[in-house]
Formats: sequence, C-alpha cells, structure tokens
Amino acid sequence: MKKLLGLALGILTAIGGFLDIGDLVTNGVVGSRFGLTLGWVVLVGVVGICLFAQMSGRVAAVSGRATFEIIRERLGARASMANLGASFIVNLMTLTAEIGGIALSLQLASSISPMLWMPVAAVAVWIVVWRVKFSIMENVTGLLGLTLIVFAVAVFLLHPNWLDLGSQLLGQAPKQSSESPATYWYYAIALFGAAMTPYEVFFFSSGAVEEKWTVKDLAQSRMNVLVGFPLGGILSIAIAACATIVLLPKNIAVTSLSEIALPIAQAGGKIALIIVLLGFVAATFGAALETTLSSGYTLAQYFGWSWGKFRRPARAARFHLTMIIALIIGLAVLATGVDPIAVTEFSVVFSAIALPLTYLPILIVANDPQYMGKFVNGKATNFFGMIYLVIILVASLAAIPLMIVTGAGA
Amino acid sequence: MILSDLIHKKVLDAEGTVVGNLVDVRFVIDGAPGQLLASARLHGIIVSRGTASTFLGYERNSANSPFILAKFLEWRHRGSFLVRWRDIAMIDDAVHLRASFQRLSPNLPQNRS
Repeated sequence: MKKLLGLALGILTAIGGFLDIGDLVTNGVVGSRFGLTLGWVVLVGVVGICLFAQMSGRVAAVSGRATFEIIRERLGARASMANLGASFIVNLMTLTAEIGGIALSLQLASSISPMLWMPVAAVAVWIVVWRVKFSIMENVTGLLGLTLIVFAVAVFLLHPNWLDLGSQLLGQAPKQSSESPATYWYYAIALFGAAMTPYEVFFFSSGAVEEKWTVKDLAQSRMNVLVGFPLGGILSIAIAACATIVLLPKNIAVTSLSEIALPIAQAGGKIALIIVLLGFVAATFGAALETTLSSGYTLAQYFGWSWGKFRRPARAARFHLTMIIALIIGLAVLATGVDPIAVTEFSVVFSAIALPLTYLPILIVANDPQYMGKFVNGKATNFFGMIYLVIILVASLAAIPLMIVTGAGA
Repeated sequence: MILSDLIHKKVLDAEGTVVGNLVDVRFVIDGAPGQLLASARLHGIIVSRGTASTFLGYERNSANSPFILAKFLEWRHRGSFLVRWRDIAMIDDAVHLRASFQRLSPNLPQNRS
C-alpha cells in the first residue's frame, strides 16, 4: 500500500493530463468516429510525456527547482512571458472546464442541475487547495481516480471482435467511419497535445518540490512516471475502445459525458455505472486541483514569489491569491452558461505556443552539469528528447492551420 | 545604469562601424569580500553579430549536450566575442569601443569549483 501511495503524484498528474473532462469526451469522440486508428498517437504521447516528466522530476529532485523556475531562468523574461501567457490561458481554460466537469459528473449521479453544482465544486477545490496537505490530496484523488480502470475492464466484458480492434490499432480504418484526413490529423494533434499538456510537468515538478524529493528519491520519481503516464494512456485508449465497440456501429455521436458512460452501463450494469461516476468525479476533481495549483505554481515561479502548499497560506499569500482569482474567473466564465467541454476546444492553439517553450528548457537544464552533477541526461534520453522536440515543433506549427481547415474537428 | 539600458544596444568600433549587438554582460566575483561571496565586478560585454538571442547557457565549455542543440546554438552565435569593460570608450545610444579593443572568446572555461 505504501508503495502504491508513493506513486500517487504520478497517477494524479497523469489523470489531469489524460483523463480530465476535455480528454474524457475527446477520447469518446475519437473512438466513436475513428475507431482505434488514433491509438498510436496516445502511444507516442505517453512516451513523450514520460521522457520529459522524468527529466523535470529529476531536475526537481536534484536541484530543488521546479520547471517554471527553470524556464524563467533559461529563456529570459520575454520568451518565458510568452510561455507563461500561453500556459496560463491553457490552465485557466482547463480549470474552468474541470469545475464544469465536476458539476456534470455530479449531475449524472444526482440529477441536480450542473449550474447549482458549479459553485459547490469551486469552493470544494478551494478548500482542498487551502487546507489539505499535499500528500493527502494526491493520495485520495489518485486512488479514487483509479476507479476509471472500470473502462479497461468493460472492454473485456463487452466481448469485442479483437481482430477488428487490433487491425484498427495498426491503422485500418473501421468500415463505418468516413472522415477526412485533415480531421484525422486535427484529432491526432489534439490527442498528442493533451498527452503532453505543459501543466503536467509544472505540477509534477512542483509536486516533487512539495514532497521534498532529493537525489535519494530518483528511483521513486522514475516509478511515478513509468506507472502514472502509461496508466493514463491505457485508460484513454480503453475509453476510446468502449466507444468504438458500442457507439461507432450504431452511429451514436458523443456530445457529452453521459454518452461516455453508456458502454460502461451496457457492460457492467448498475454497479459499473456507480464506479464510473465516482471515477468521473475523482478525475475531474483531481484535474481541477492540478490546474488550480499549476496556475499558482507558474505565476509564482515566474515572478519569484514564495509558493507551495508546504508553506502556510500566509507565507505564500500571492500564490494562494492567484489560485482564488483563477477559480473565481473560472466560475464567472461558467456562469455565462457556456458548455464546459467546448471551453477546452481552443486550448490546442495556446498549447502550440507553450509546448516548445516548456520542453526545450527542460531538455537544456537536464543536460547542465552545474545543476545536475552526474545526473545529467544520458545519450539515449537526449537522442529521443531531440526527436520529440522536432515532433513537438511540427505539431505546434500544424495545429492552428488544421484547426481552421477542419473547423476544430467538426 | 541598469542592465536593461545596455542589452540590445548597437556596438560600434572606434571608426563608428557596427560590430554587433550587446547581448549579455559578464561579471567576475573578485571584488571586496562580502558575507558569502566577494562582490561582483563587471568584467566585460558579450557582442553578437547575427542574433539578439541568448546562449541559453551554452557559452560554458562544460555544456555540450545534446550535441545537435549545442552545435546549433554555436552556429547561431558564430562570430560572437567578449570585450573587456575597460575597452569601452563611451555609452550613449550605442556602445563605442576604443580603437585598441580585443575580441576575446565568449566561452566560459570549465567550472573549477
């Protein structure tokens, strides 16, 4: 049990990246429209985030510095301000969506209008951020988020045609699917961007500082990365698979969270549905915590304010104030009645700016012997790091044109 | 004078020809002893010909990986040089160097600590 709890940071970080409300729905949309033909993108994304999260965790453990401090130091004020601007907007949009997502999940469980749940959700997130110890927060949300494994179980309970699923994974488009290449690649980039969202490394490295990791914890950092992110990837493919098996043949379009839960209800009945609803609430709540804290971390680390939950709120006043303001803005946006899931749609654009400006400094500092001593990157890590830098750059450049051409994947 | 006043200024030699842009300054820690460290003394300025971007830490001889990135930044900053503070004649809208200034290597030698 203790070992499992030691992995909570990685699991919570991965839930925020792969299974937040936007991704839950996107995975369902992808599964119901493209089958599993985009499965390879998740694989590419998982390897990429493992590579860079491992670097950022190692830098944090060895030097005690979180990722945005490194970005601010290496890129200088102007370029890191561009990153801060883009990352903060992605953060804020995701945070807004998550508060809405908690409300939508609670609506599925209670039939009470999401508008009434939203303030409750925001206050609950704030109380946890303000009062609860970091380790308790990550353990509870990380463990409860594991209930989403029910999606992986459901794939087996649905007795799919494994041959079909397998050939889709290898790129064979399903018979019922008729999508244009531009739409296909738009979703490919959206999935890749979701897997590598910058707030994951901000949260993971800052979490490592909160947990006071040192050189002794490098093995734990590696385990966190190697368990958390692949688990997130597998679950996101499982969600797509459930949609492929049940929704695709019947031409059911995914537009909201309830359609994502349909295959689960079909596979496991009432009990599975209860578990998945719990999972939805835990995952969106976890993602809300991750993005709220990330907004505080990035701003405080850029401006050099004192930050961290290990300090009492009075000792990190601006850090806490940032998060309160972020939550209020999120609530205000939701009060306009906007669809929470649609809010995340445009985050792809800002991710395109933030991704290269986040991962380049991590790669550079992970190679800096003055910071890292003998724990600098090995040759293989650098080789793949450079390849991923190119992939990230290409995806960034292609994101905005593809978004315009496809009308955001419509 | 603060650093922002200097950064991105044009650098001219004694005849008034542009030799590049000021992209960085370099300090040495050998001044009067302080509590933790000796106080810093301005040693010189880094002049770059082509680019206004920074070295991202690759001015140090010890930083050389990832190989491709290091080579790329070296190429971006080819022709950059260090000018000692005492070789600067005047600073107004631009930095004017004395006729006798020397182009020194901008690389930082291996950290001895």
